[in-house]
Amino acid sequence: MTDLAWLTLAPALTPLGFGLLLLWPWVRPVRVGVALAGALLTLAFALGLLAATADGAVLVSALGGWPAPFGIVMTADRLAAGVSVLGAVSAVLAVWQAAADPDPVREKHHLFALMSFLFAGVQLSFLTGDLFNLFVAFEVMLVASYALAVLGSTREQLREGFRYIVMNLAASALLVVACGLAYGVLGTLNFAHLAQRSAELGPNTTVTAVGVLLLLVFAAKGALFPLGFWLPGTYPALPPAVGGFFAAVLTKVGVYALIRVFTTVFTGEAGVTNTLLLLLGTVTMLYGALGAVSQREWRRILAFLVVSSVGYLAFGLGVGTAEAVRASLAYFAVSVLVTAALFALATVAERAAGTRLVRVRGMLDHLPLLAGCFLLCALTVAGLPPTGGFVAKYALVRAGLSQGSVLAVVAVVSALVSSLLILFALLAVWRGFFWGKHPPEDPVRPVPLHLRLPAYVACALVAGLAVFAGPLLERADTTAAELRDNTRYIRGVLGDEPVIIPAAPTGEEGER
Amino acid sequence: METLFALLVGLLVAAGVFLLLSRTIVRVVLGLSFITYGGNLATLTVAGLREDAPPLLTLPGPYVDPLPQALILTAIVIGFATTALLLTVALRAYQVAGHDDVAAFGDNLARDTEAEDGMIADPEHQGPDQPDVEEPRTLVYTARGRE
Repeated sequence: MTDLAWLTLAPALTPLGFGLLLLWPWVRPVRVGVALAGALLTLAFALGLLAATADGAVLVSALGGWPAPFGIVMTADRLAAGVSVLGAVSAVLAVWQAAADPDPVREKHHLFALMSFLFAGVQLSFLTGDLFNLFVAFEVMLVASYALAVLGSTREQLREGFRYIVMNLAASALLVVACGLAYGVLGTLNFAHLAQRSAELGPNTTVTAVGVLLLLVFAAKGALFPLGFWLPGTYPALPPAVGGFFAAVLTKVGVYALIRVFTTVFTGEAGVTNTLLLLLGTVTMLYGALGAVSQREWRRILAFLVVSSVGYLAFGLGVGTAEAVRASLAYFAVSVLVTAALFALATVAERAAGTRLVRVRGMLDHLPLLAGCFLLCALTVAGLPPTGGFVAKYALVRAGLSQGSVLAVVAVVSALVSSLLILFALLAVWRGFFWGKHPPEDPVRPVPLHLRLPAYVACALVAGLAVFAGPLLERADTTAAELRDNTRYIRGVLGDEPVIIPAAPTGEEGER
Repeated sequence: METLFALLVGLLVAAGVFLLLSRTIVRVVLGLSFITYGGNLATLTVAGLREDAPPLLTLPGPYVDPLPQALILTAIVIGFATTALLLTVALRAYQVAGHDDVAAFGDNLARDTEAEDGMIADPEHQGPDQPDVEEPRTLVYTARGRE
């Protein structure tokens, strides 16, 4: 344990504290300032975490002073620190967008406080080192997201929110069962200790069953194909700023849990779960891309792109080689940033056109910078050069081909076809929204600069991905290498000594 | 004992799934509770069932592992909170839609042409204290469905 161990708690506790502060009925400027300060401070702590784990150190802080396998620990390795930074960046963008676009009714009902609690839940899920604590973190995150999903009570929100809540509660019940089974089989819930004990046990069908159960749960949270039916309806129903954060980060929390569990914890049972992930990923990519082609509204198209991106991540994870995991991690970063940017762009576009439909025509003359940003994001999502998306997707395809099994090749074909479909869908958006001549009877609403600015900053980040693709891949490489060999994580959490479970008390020492 | 518990868990989850597939909102909520309790019982069973073995380390004699019981306690508390929230959403949905039937929500991706989005669907039928007089609940369910 190092001096910096407190950093593992800071990104989760900061938004929690600021969320409590935000429950106080401040005047709007103060409230916005507090919310933004909270998000920025979280980002600062997450960046600190990134710097502290850059040399491969595993930061561990034991809650309540109980050492690793007995108490709950917060851990941060390269992977956790990286996704924590991505979550915090999206959080800052979301708060900024919500601040720029006043919504008196929702803000009266604690929009900013709920957003802060959501950020706390997300960071807690990223930084926990314990399976049951992961369940609790999921619940913290999901309860905040349920409230945000129905905040405002429009008919559409209630319709989609109810579906979302029921689906996630059922998945949570399964997660409790999976935790119970894991504890029953392996006698521990700590990730590192689970990894150690399942390795000692060797290939074991019960452990595989637990793995498959966890896969189903995280697939439901991450919206993999048959379990992701709620997503394309729910995300467009949300208010814009919140919807952007949901789309960028919430599904990725499920994917992060998949990466954590199947690269660090249950490494011995890779065969079954990898095949399943590859299958689900293949179908999800195509489903998302076809869905995007089928829609005619900005945020519905983008919601299907989110589904598709989860498919790509599952594909990389399912291929399972070090190269594929590296490509997945790079794609993870690209996907989070580009989704946040696209949803921010969609907000501006919807505002300017006064409709959610993309068939408006001729906005190129009115919003040239927005058009440029959209083109950049579209190329990134479709995976064309010279963007960061190309680098990540190229790495994914190469990893799939070099692994060479029939299923992997089918998945690669599916990835290429769905990339083409995504390009088609986004070009249809381009043609419908930006191209042509705007009908003069339909006025273009001016969008003030403070509303457009978050979108442009998000696009600048996406452009930065293209410039810094080299360092991004390098970091993904070291992270994948670290995930490949989990001994470092295990030793970081449990120490060098073997874990000794104390003998059962005989009852003689009774009156303690 | 374990067999009995396994059967009980199966029964609870089966009842929960049956209720979950219903069209009435409150039944869906109840179904979820059943599934949650089934899951909790499963956790308890997995950790081992023994008679005369309290989960107390300070007492003499055999004891069962207290950790799963702590897990279940946490899960129950979280389950209470989420069920309360879900019931609130269900009530609000009932007030807005004017029915407690999931079909009243309409389809996922299809637009409701009647209602402008962002508007309350049925301003006249706000809730249980303003009963639905326009469209009385005289729906007949036959073998072919709703008529």
